[in-house]
Amino acid sequence: MIESIAMSDVTIRIPTPLRAFTGGADEVHVQAGTVKEALDKLGESHDGILQQVTDGDGNLRRFVNVFVHDRNITALDGLNTPVPEGAIISIIPAVAGGASFKQQRLAALRREVPEVTPQEAYELQQQGAVLVDVREPDEVALGRARGAEPIVRGYLELRIEERVLDPSTPVLVMCAGGSRSLFAAEDLRQLGYRDVRSVAGGFDLWKQEGLPVEVPRVLNGEERERYGRHLTIPEVGEKGQVRLLESKVLLVGAGGLGSPAALYLAAAGIGTIGIVDDDVVDRSNLQRQILHADDRVGELKVESAQRTLAALNPAVEVEAFRERLDSGNVERIFAGYDVVVDGTDNFPARYLVNDACVKLGIPNVHGSVFRFEGQVSVFWPGRAENPGPCYRCLYPEPPPAELAPSCADAGVLGVLPGVIGLLQSVETIKVLLEIGDPLVGRLLTYDALPARFTELKLERDPACAYCGEGADFPGYVDYERFCNVAA
Amino acid sequence: MPESPDPRPVPRLLLCPAIGEWLADAARSGYPREVCGLLVGSRSGAATRVERAEAATNLEEERAADRYRLDPRAFLAIDRAARRDGLDVVGVWHTHPDHPAEPSSTDLQAAWPDYTYLIISVAGDETVHLRAWELVDGRFVERPIVSQHAADRAAAGRNESANTHP
Repeated sequence: MIESIAMSDVTIRIPTPLRAFTGGADEVHVQAGTVKEALDKLGESHDGILQQVTDGDGNLRRFVNVFVHDRNITALDGLNTPVPEGAIISIIPAVAGGASFKQQRLAALRREVPEVTPQEAYELQQQGAVLVDVREPDEVALGRARGAEPIVRGYLELRIEERVLDPSTPVLVMCAGGSRSLFAAEDLRQLGYRDVRSVAGGFDLWKQEGLPVEVPRVLNGEERERYGRHLTIPEVGEKGQVRLLESKVLLVGAGGLGSPAALYLAAAGIGTIGIVDDDVVDRSNLQRQILHADDRVGELKVESAQRTLAALNPAVEVEAFRERLDSGNVERIFAGYDVVVDGTDNFPARYLVNDACVKLGIPNVHGSVFRFEGQVSVFWPGRAENPGPCYRCLYPEPPPAELAPSCADAGVLGVLPGVIGLLQSVETIKVLLEIGDPLVGRLLTYDALPARFTELKLERDPACAYCGEGADFPGYVDYERFCNVAA
Repeated sequence: MPESPDPRPVPRLLLCPAIGEWLADAARSGYPREVCGLLVGSRSGAATRVERAEAATNLEEERAADRYRLDPRAFLAIDRAARRDGLDVVGVWHTHPDHPAEPSSTDLQAAWPDYTYLIISVAGDETVHLRAWELVDGRFVERPIVSQHAADRAAAGRNESANTHP
């Protein structure tokens, strides 16, 4: 439409930031018909300046305004705005900025949320305040304040009640530097917690001040996937799963009770499973001993167990003790285990397991089966709070042999040790996680034919030679002889 | 981009106490909004002398507590008056309500070279703190502020048409 516009003499006013391109000149004179032509001329005579004003497509940059006299060209014809003779084109740098909103909010939060120094936080923690670490798992993995509860910021509102039930409990929130904890503390206050404080300087300052730090074991991605269904249970969670992974459970016997227990404990992620058994797989075992398989008849049970457990959960370390438990080796084998699962099928071994557990203070998860009946208990006289009886409190002496036949003699429904062995696994996990009410001081019996569970209360025998009050460990005995004589 | 040799020394900012006081007042009366304006003066290699500070409209309405966008029409008017007096726009001042007088990432994004950025931190009507910054190689470098009585013509707060300072 516009064929040609007469060239006009125009003045371009250069702002200070662009004078580096004009050799310091505050004005440049060009001949042009439109703003675009004027700017192009400016660019031709002053290398680099055009890139400051327009983008690659020749449009005006966001940070620049151009005025012709008093009018912003955006209100006119943009870059095609014609320029009359003597026009003054002003390049106006956009001036903007400001404190970030984040900083604003933090400043406001600092006025509302009380802050404590790491030292004060440490002292409050000793007095019962709960220290919550809201950092991301990969940050926590590198170290955290000792005793801090890691709850990732994103799940804070959803999980805090699992850790802190009483809204009047003092809660100290910690992050890396003290900013995220302010936001998190505010959320907890909104949720109803009345005494929430933010640790100023966060974990970085905590560490710098030499306050106690621990490097926790955290789950890797594969573990997170494998144990996902545990992680969603509040009573287990990551902390509990880590505890299981760091636990050591010894199974005495890889038979009817030991088989289901071993499989489920390995599946649950018990870090180390010891198995004591000197026997080989017999075809008659396979009716109930599901650790083993038909093609392994004649193989050592501990080796068969190792193969089965490795296939189920290769991360589990299986310590195989191919030996018969006796007074001479029992303490060496039991040493370092957190729980012993008694899956023995004879009285001498059962008394030996009991005596060693009493001496070493290890909880003894007991199970036994007979045809259609089974029983489970946790013998734990060494328990710190509410200790229970030991096996000898119940049975100071073994019953006569004719009243206590072995599986081989009496027979057993193959499924039954499955039920009892699994109850032993459940009790083992409860003991390890310190959750629920383990069968300490209680005997749970299961009678399959009427389908009935019965619970019997077991009392400690204060006169028990092994775990009674003030009793000195009387020593191991000749268990074969003890049982035969008693019989 | 700049033809001046690198590294160059960061020059001082010469500021008359009356202008400093006027800026502090502006920050306090603007609180909790961010207020902004331009610094007019002259620049030599060793120093930037501020002859006057001018207020300008903050076009940011919704986030005026933590953002400013200076009205370009105000810039044009202040620039025109400065040129008339043989002076230049040499910098920008703005307030940081409840925030230290340090440039934020927002400030850095929009910063121009060769302007002095004077930031006034203000917390209610209590503390006011002034610090000056300049963009050097893409980073803000602090410039020392030298309090110096300017000539009588330094009319701090002499407002142009664009002034909407409360």
